[in-house]
Amino acid sequence: MRFWLTAALCVAGVPAFAQGEEVTLRGELIDTWCYFSGVMGGPDAVQGTAHHTCAIWCSAGGIPVGLLAEDGTVYMILSINGDDQNAGGQSQLDLAAHEVTAAGRVFARDGLNYLVIDEIVEDHGITNITHSDFGVVPGFAIPNPEG
Amino acid sequence: MWKYLIPLALLASPASAQEGPFSEGSEARSWNLAWEEPARFEATVVDMLCEVVGDCANECGAGRQLGLLRAADGVLTYPNKNNQGIFTGAAVDVAPFCGMEVEVDGLMIEDEFVGATNVYLVQMIREVGAEEWVAANGWTDAWAEEFPEAAAQDGRWYRNDPRVLGLIESRGYLGTGETWQEAWEITR
Repeated sequence: MRFWLTAALCVAGVPAFAQGEEVTLRGELIDTWCYFSGVMGGPDAVQGTAHHTCAIWCSAGGIPVGLLAEDGTVYMILSINGDDQNAGGQSQLDLAAHEVTAAGRVFARDGLNYLVIDEIVEDHGITNITHSDFGVVPGFAIPNPEG
Repeated sequence: MWKYLIPLALLASPASAQEGPFSEGSEARSWNLAWEEPARFEATVVDMLCEVVGDCANECGAGRQLGLLRAADGVLTYPNKNNQGIFTGAAVDVAPFCGMEVEVDGLMIEDEFVGATNVYLVQMIREVGAEEWVAANGWTDAWAEEFPEAAAQDGRWYRNDPRVLGLIESRGYLGTGETWQEAWEITR
């Protein structure tokens, strides 16, 4: 009895981190600042090809990258395939604006969803063609090739 | 006639910044964002992977996102953006304070429509009890130190960053393989 009581107390005393909910999600890797803040316009304008260059800039600049799932939920990406460089790292940079199917774990905390991607199951590439509706966002993302 | 003019006058008025629960005493500069709230509060700087997931092996290491665990209510806020207006995050500016108790001033973004809550733009940071604020403007200096040749070129960092240039070279500005000229013409 004493053993089990001690064991129970030991377990209770260990800082417990949730294991997260295992998920497989499909969505686009987005720049969360532009999406959340509206600084570049509405949420539809800061996805896909229209915002591809800006997504690269923001990812390289260390702005948190998110996965915008098919149902519109944003998941803040904490790591990709064990790469913990979530502030400007190469794994997330290479996937900027790509649509992926990702398997991993979701952790909910204070109103935001966080995602640890254990595996990119499939990289669908850049599929969200938005420049036909929005041009390029921001407008100066493509410099004039004539100089 | 007034019933028509008053709504028009209201529409023409500049929107005043919304006040939030941590706006008192804030000296944050507005970015004129629709859902910004000035917010000054005390917090502990935490490593996001460690705090949320328990992955603490490289806690506070370079290149990891950091959070602000607010002292008043224990809420984890996410500093997405620093004070520079040029596509730059906050981790570099917050990193020197990792594990410390700090006071921050900036803008909180609360927009239920896009799922934004506890998303923060940090403008100033200081250790609790310190007199002097540190402006969260350090990203470009850190970048210039990492890429001195690129930093010596004319133009903004994002026009010269070798990683950015490499991706645009391989994918094009729209990401779908168009040449520079083609991308320019179809987006005019």
